[in-house]
Amino acid sequence: MKLEVRDLRVSFAGHPVASVPELTVDGGEIVGLVGESGSGKSMTILAILGLAGTAGAAVTGSVRLDGQELIGLSDARLRAVRGARIAAIFQSPSLAFNPVFRVGAIVSRALRQHGLSAAEAGERADAAMRGVLLSPDLLRRYPAELSGGQLQRVAIALALALRAEVLLADEPTSALDVTVQAEVLELLRELRDSRGMAILFVSHDLAVIAELCDRVAVMRSGQVVEQGPTGQVIAAPRHDYTRELLAAVPSLADPGLGE
Amino acid sequence: MADDVLLDVRDLRVNFGPVRAVDGVSVAIRRGPFGIALVGESGSGKTTVGRAVLRLVPAAGGRIAFDGQDVLGLRGPGLRAYRRAVQIVFQDADNSLDPRMRIEATIGEVLVAHGLARRGAVADRVAALLSEAALDPALASRYPHQLSGGQRQRVAIARALAVSPRLLVLDEPTSALDVTAQARILALVRRLRDERQLAYLLITHNLAIIPGLCEQMVVLYLGGVAETGPTGELLARPAHPYTLALRSAVPEVEAAARRSRIILTGDTPHAAAPPPGCPFHPRCPLAVDICRTRVPALQAVAPGRQAACHRAAEVLSGLRPPGAPAQLAGEP
Repeated sequence: MKLEVRDLRVSFAGHPVASVPELTVDGGEIVGLVGESGSGKSMTILAILGLAGTAGAAVTGSVRLDGQELIGLSDARLRAVRGARIAAIFQSPSLAFNPVFRVGAIVSRALRQHGLSAAEAGERADAAMRGVLLSPDLLRRYPAELSGGQLQRVAIALALALRAEVLLADEPTSALDVTVQAEVLELLRELRDSRGMAILFVSHDLAVIAELCDRVAVMRSGQVVEQGPTGQVIAAPRHDYTRELLAAVPSLADPGLGE
Repeated sequence: MADDVLLDVRDLRVNFGPVRAVDGVSVAIRRGPFGIALVGESGSGKTTVGRAVLRLVPAAGGRIAFDGQDVLGLRGPGLRAYRRAVQIVFQDADNSLDPRMRIEATIGEVLVAHGLARRGAVADRVAALLSEAALDPALASRYPHQLSGGQRQRVAIARALAVSPRLLVLDEPTSALDVTAQARILALVRRLRDERQLAYLLITHNLAIIPGLCEQMVVLYLGGVAETGPTGELLARPAHPYTLALRSAVPEVEAAARRSRIILTGDTPHAAAPPPGCPFHPRCPLAVDICRTRVPALQAVAPGRQAACHRAAEVLSGLRPPGAPAQLAGEP
């Protein structure tokens, strides 16, 4: 298993906010984590990245990458894992890019921090941009000159350039237009299928999960209430909360106003 | 103009410097209960149309009539009365509610400003408005940051209702919310529509929320109308390839309703540098030579329906991009 989470508990001052008994993601697989705001999805992501501590949370349990335990690793050792082996993209790509630097400078700085020479970084960045169907020319622009969808692709390109094996995607399409969302979802499928990436995809929207994820875990109030293959969970939800989430998804097939 | 039209927008133009953000948009909003959706991606001009209706941005051309009366020339008391009749709810209640004011003060301010209550005597009205928006009246003493995103948006709706408007402009009211909070807001709008006989202009990029709320829809692309007509027909049988693409981008839970995607390549072109010919042609999977040179006019394609596409008749009778199924799930 590429990524293995066991008995993970995240708490603030003794107050538990997320508790995940078991969550695994294999290479070539997209696993969904679905729930409302405040259900603990994002805290789970931060804990996997080893960043929950910086938010003031206490984390116990186990997070393994290819069998290697990450919880308890020193900051220096974690930095070698974070970015290089586990990459993350977030809801607001515009907040992820410093507005005063050109996009290419941000990308190449991250690559050089992980040991690449300037020349290697440039080559990798160009190739990764093509990998997400963007022109490398965009690297010369400033973040404000790119659309939200383009910036989210650049964030994904950075993960590709670093040869990350695991991608944590926290609501990466919630701030995008539905058309752009469709493009980004297509790109994530492509990364799973052709590069064998292990992707953990967080969303509040079961319709997006249904279209993208092989398996899904449903979170509510910090607890995983149901998990299984996506088709099964959606066709025969076992928990009332899953049914609630399903009922909340609007559909083009919803009854109209009769005109 | 037909008697049942409440707000009539004709050939509206809005410029930001040299940029034609809205370039000849017409929308007719009937008296409530009535819902009409303005759909499009970022940059389509949909929010600008909503703001121009409120007179929050100046129109560079066209006409807006409310109840038969010219809106663009209104000043002073006339403009004030108009702004009581037409209210707006913004996408982001985090930014549209003053973080330093308690909810009671936020809603009370509107009542006092419009002379509907005296300062210090607003509590009962505020409580009633909060209940109407399905909120606990006890929330009146809270600050915005103490509420959830969904609750804040309902406060914004309660504030809009305070002046008993006849028309609401709802600008992406649920885009910042998760699906459960969204479902509650949509149910609230649906109830208010009937209870208050409201008319509303729903601005959204998500087609899926339209069927349950809006009789009519207008699809915008790069500041112009791509297609308009009754919601049911337009969604079942689009006449514009852009509507097809928007429709196919909606994620669906039901496997049967999922269709093969028409993935649009490239982003919306910028209104500062529109492409020649049809503004959609660089992204259109059905574009032919004429689309690259001639701008298609908005023309009738069926009773009550108009589309601006050289191939509208073909699309309406089932032409699909290569790779997309001729018969899409949900089509008759």
